Amino acid sequence: MAPIATLLLLGVSSPAFAAGTVAGTNIENTATASYDGPGGEVQIDSNTVTIVVDELLDVTVTSADPGDVATQPGAEDQVLTFTVTNTGNGTEKYALTPDVVRGGDDFDPALVSVVIDTNGNGVYDAGIDEVYAAGTNDPELAPDETVTVFVISDIPATPADGDRAEVNLAAEAETGTGTPGTSFDGQGDGGGDAVVGTTGADDDDSGFFLIQDASVALTKSASIADPFGGDSAVPGSVITYTLVATVTGSGTLTGLAVSDPIPADTSYNSESITLEGISLTDSSADADAGSFDGSAIAVELGDIPGGQTRTVTFQVTID
Amino acid sequence: MKRLILTLAALCAPYSAIAAEKVELSSDVYVEKVSHDANGRKSVVLEKPLKVVPGDRLVFILKYRNVGDRTAENFVVTNPMPSAVAFQETLDGTELVSIDGGKNWGRLKDLRVRMGSGYRDAVPEDVTHIRWNINDDISAGSQGKLTFRGVVR
Repeated sequence: MAPIATLLLLGVSSPAFAAGTVAGTNIENTATASYDGPGGEVQIDSNTVTIVVDELLDVTVTSADPGDVATQPGAEDQVLTFTVTNTGNGTEKYALTPDVVRGGDDFDPALVSVVIDTNGNGVYDAGIDEVYAAGTNDPELAPDETVTVFVISDIPATPADGDRAEVNLAAEAETGTGTPGTSFDGQGDGGGDAVVGTTGADDDDSGFFLIQDASVALTKSASIADPFGGDSAVPGSVITYTLVATVTGSGTLTGLAVSDPIPADTSYNSESITLEGISLTDSSADADAGSFDGSAIAVELGDIPGGQTRTVTFQVTID
Repeated sequence: MKRLILTLAALCAPYSAIAAEKVELSSDVYVEKVSHDANGRKSVVLEKPLKVVPGDRLVFILKYRNVGDRTAENFVVTNPMPSAVAFQETLDGTELVSIDGGKNWGRLKDLRVRMGSGYRDAVPEDVTHIRWNINDDISAGSQGKLTFRGVVR
């Protein structure tokens, strides 16, 4: 008889299933024995014991947004993303319940709909992804399967910059929920019982909206230089107007533009617009942000984050 | 009535004795239910399971008995692990295990599993078969019990 190798190198490893053995699987155990008798080796089998793996009811709900989702007062169809995973070992349907009226937050969004990520791309596609209707299209998940769920809400006009709103999504196994170990006789996949697992067969998680609002304050000042080196407002004096746009708040103002009509009894000094000290042209056809249309100057400031200022100057001459 | 059964048993006995040595092997499985009483004391109860769920701890008990009248030599018991059960340990610790479906055997601590370009130590979950080479031959009438634990995957 060859000695038993003390070091065996093998290329197999057993697969791991998070949800465990599929419900309805039979676990069968049979031992064998051999021994030497007068007539040679004898082999015997034990009886086979069989036990059935019941369905374990478990579910995990997770907010899939990386952090607070920024939004603005009055914004419509704002999306929070969740995932619902069947962490049990049988195929199970789950009822979903959104809750936008949570305590301890600053405001309550208005629920629009709960939407299933029907096309599985992880992104809310309005009109393509199916709107969830409780009891009608409850997601049915195989063991370990995950579905993405979007909770769509409208933001009221009232919240202030920095306010947060909590939105919760709960999922419950349709077979039943309860304290771990609760059994639903004969209702498991594969004919066995369904047993509530460690999650209680229900779970929920919350996502958050954060109001990132911004507002702008515009101040205008003027300095005069007369033809004689003084600051008198006489014909021929040049007035330099300075417009300072100050953006405050935690958000970003998008597409901010300033314009200012040329005052009566003055004439615009052509090509005199500056932004942050850099000259802009009067043409509206070129790429730069400044323009003069014959009666007013305009500067496209674009997207300005809270905490920043933009300074625009232009000059006129008193007629 | 009881006397009649005894008589029948006596009649049957000579037939089993014809095979000079005859060993019987039985397999049983129990689930370990851990409960805590009002004082927080932990108690473990072995129950006869009809149904189990992933994570349940199972205790397998194999019983052998030489019901013949001669010694059975080189007695070896082999138990393939049910695929849905992860091996944990045996009670006696004398087992040999296989992690490749019964082709090669060794002590668990001596076995390695290939991981990409390297190897890792085998863990109980890798075990596919367990085997006891019972050192002593088992004499007529003697019996024994082998116990191992597993967890429903």
